[in-house]
Amino acid sequence: MSKSTVGRRNLLKAGAASLFLAGVPIAGFTKDKPLGSISVIILEGGLDGLAAIPPIGDADLMRMRQSISPASYLPLNDFFGLHPSLQFYAQLMARGQASAVHATAFPYTKRSHFEGQNMIEGGGLSPFSEKTGWLGRALELAGVAGRSLSLDMPLILRGHRDNDNFYPASIRGSGRPPADLVEMIAMGHQMDAAQMFTKVARKSEERVQVPRDPASLAAYAGRVMAQTDGPVASVIRVGGFDTHANQVEEGDTDAGQLARQLSVVDDVIAGYRRGLGKAWDDAIILTLTEFGRTVAVNGTLGTDHGYGSVGLLAGGALPSSRVVTNWPGLSKKDQFERRDLLATIDYRSVCAACLEKALGLDHDLIASQIFHQPDLPRVFEHLFA
Amino acid sequence: MNEQFRIAQRIGLMFRYDQDLPQDMEAWVQSQLQAPSPALGIPHAYAKVAQWPDELQPNLAKRAYMWRRYRALKKQEREGKNGQDTEAARQANRRNHLMREKDEHKFVQRNVYGADQVKLRLTAFWANHFTIGNTFDTGNMIGHAIDKGILAKLNGSFAEMLYGITTHPGMLTYLDNVWSAGERSEHAKGCHRRPNCHAGLNDNLGRELLELHTVSPAAGYSEDDIRGAANVLAGWGVDFQEELPGMRKKIGGINHWNAYKKRWAEPGTKKVMGQLIHAGRGGLRQLTDFLASHDHTINYISTKLCQHFVSDNPSKDQIESVKSAWRQGDGDLPTIHTQVFKLAIAAPEAKFVWPMTWLFQVVRLSGATYFKGWEDIDNYNNQLMSSKKVLKELGQSFWSLRQPNGYSDDRVDWMSAEMFERRIRFADAIHKNGNIRRSASEIMHRIGAAKQTRNLVASVGNSPRDQFIALMCSPELMGLEYV
Repeated sequence: MSKSTVGRRNLLKAGAASLFLAGVPIAGFTKDKPLGSISVIILEGGLDGLAAIPPIGDADLMRMRQSISPASYLPLNDFFGLHPSLQFYAQLMARGQASAVHATAFPYTKRSHFEGQNMIEGGGLSPFSEKTGWLGRALELAGVAGRSLSLDMPLILRGHRDNDNFYPASIRGSGRPPADLVEMIAMGHQMDAAQMFTKVARKSEERVQVPRDPASLAAYAGRVMAQTDGPVASVIRVGGFDTHANQVEEGDTDAGQLARQLSVVDDVIAGYRRGLGKAWDDAIILTLTEFGRTVAVNGTLGTDHGYGSVGLLAGGALPSSRVVTNWPGLSKKDQFERRDLLATIDYRSVCAACLEKALGLDHDLIASQIFHQPDLPRVFEHLFA
Repeated sequence: MNEQFRIAQRIGLMFRYDQDLPQDMEAWVQSQLQAPSPALGIPHAYAKVAQWPDELQPNLAKRAYMWRRYRALKKQEREGKNGQDTEAARQANRRNHLMREKDEHKFVQRNVYGADQVKLRLTAFWANHFTIGNTFDTGNMIGHAIDKGILAKLNGSFAEMLYGITTHPGMLTYLDNVWSAGERSEHAKGCHRRPNCHAGLNDNLGRELLELHTVSPAAGYSEDDIRGAANVLAGWGVDFQEELPGMRKKIGGINHWNAYKKRWAEPGTKKVMGQLIHAGRGGLRQLTDFLASHDHTINYISTKLCQHFVSDNPSKDQIESVKSAWRQGDGDLPTIHTQVFKLAIAAPEAKFVWPMTWLFQVVRLSGATYFKGWEDIDNYNNQLMSSKKVLKELGQSFWSLRQPNGYSDDRVDWMSAEMFERRIRFADAIHKNGNIRRSASEIMHRIGAAKQTRNLVASVGNSPRDQFIALMCSPELMGLEYV
């Protein structure tokens, strides 16, 4: 690759982020608010877990990945380091409020973004088998009526009729539509479309100005979730993790596309912390990505689609900081299909543990009703005991 | 709705407020497929509709030059040289050398003023099928790819379009192929001898060529097939950054849209899904032709066409009829499109209208001047937003940064209160600032609006604004219910 391409790609593929909130009890809904809250950061494109939390104690890492492994990693223990972009997350680690699960994935091995994203949001047994999302089904099961925040309604939150969304508009020459007009329009519609317009009418009085950058959205989400009748779940989507090219900058493995996107994730977590205030103590934030990336570096200082990756967790609901893993090794014979990090922990179990903690749902119920996998292993103790 | 508008909503962009309506709709559909496609628009508000000037539609070589110039001046700006670090210089650089806003504005204007509404809808379908996201370095290329790679190829075969768009610099850049080199290529071998030189395969485009553009995962291909496709693609495309003379030397005097770097190509025969592909430049055409006529491609894209124009859940028979048209016409696009439109016109259920399509339809029906003229593109207007801003707020734009699978054809993916709220607000803004030439009642009369729609509009009272919003956000105009 020619050197001239490197700087240019700096600006690129830095995905936009969007935010979704869910689980606000609607007016008149008397169900008690669950114990905690759960927020999901979806890392679109496939996070390279081996660069985010490099297993520096594995001798094969530097042998195979020196050109893209962050030189200034922060040591977590004898075996794992942390990407230098994750500064705030590192502070949380030091305070016992962040954990990581490594060599993990949803049980999907075909390496397609779109099948993979459908799996991690839908939580089904195969791609496109679910019309609703695992978080939406969990909120339905927990009996928390709610709303979400975003321009579109992501699959992960679908499944609860009263989930709603919110995303600040900026349209010259148009004001807030009057509720009575919108109500009449809603009456002219049927089914789901009528529901949508009814929701527009319901919230037509609550416009607020929020900047749309990921950290501000996260801070806003945190503030709303911290309110007494606030939401119990939120989702933020951060794109730009499909680092086929220039994952790092030539000559600086601490910089590049992945470093920039991990900084966004770090800012999002910091935004949540800021916004949540006291509610941080009962909060869980977890990342979700469709797959990890190849162990080997490709020809363009990047990595191609793989399997196992890492999940980052943060929040006051964690009792201590740990890196949970059943490390499979990186040598060729240990790799999945001789190319990818093997996943030894089913990430659905991690999601299930977070749901159990935040919503107080029983693991068996989560396994069978939400993930349709009655024998899904329970990893709750590893994270929360 | 009467026959003319019902069909125009389904496969076109609605007849403009002052357009004569055709009597023979079957003949009209056929004539639309062959309609000339000048880029129509207006130079400034209240001006007559005219063709976009050539100087605002540069060719690829010019676009590449502009991109290099932009980068060079950006560098000077960073270094504080030649007065490039002033706000005025920054603005001038963006205005003179970036095409994104102009291209998006042209796209919007031709959708508002074009007499080729059916072709424009087909363009939107195929531009979405062959998504090129805006990764900034593709910003100067997307408009060109849509005009020359999609719209200009609607009357040829699918194989032609596939090859054209696969080799377009926009696609080759968006999915990283311009930096991919065969592992046994001369370039990679030379590079491996030098310290800190990286060269090798990047499978991004090879993977999406199979998954999204042709056979789909249903074909059950393997990682080896993906690698095979990536190896066939290795060497295709040049970085827009490269100077033309150097590029000529490297690729043998061909333009950006056919650029093949022999030194980066993987030598030897490749194998993709059982098909042997020859080495050299001709290998890619062999591969795309093989994929274009593959059963899984025909099935996948026939289904997708039905989902876009006919029904979210098309029947087996409907899909089969498109597949058989595809085979009979040997991939001839007008033959395929004709069959899809036959089904669309006969479809018994409503089909949800995409946000951008709906916006164009609202503007055309009402005769609004909601978008600025091309001469005013850089002038702030306190009533009218830029096309870029409008489509961004609406939540659908071909110049957005998005994933290569494009926008969904399924209405459930658009069920969102916030997106519905945007429809209300844009109907409001168009009524307020768009200088509309037709009121809600005039439009209802012209299109033969259904009784339910008239009742809804009557229910909101006598305010022309409220009536206009109610009409445009009715189930009938949003394509939510057939009434």
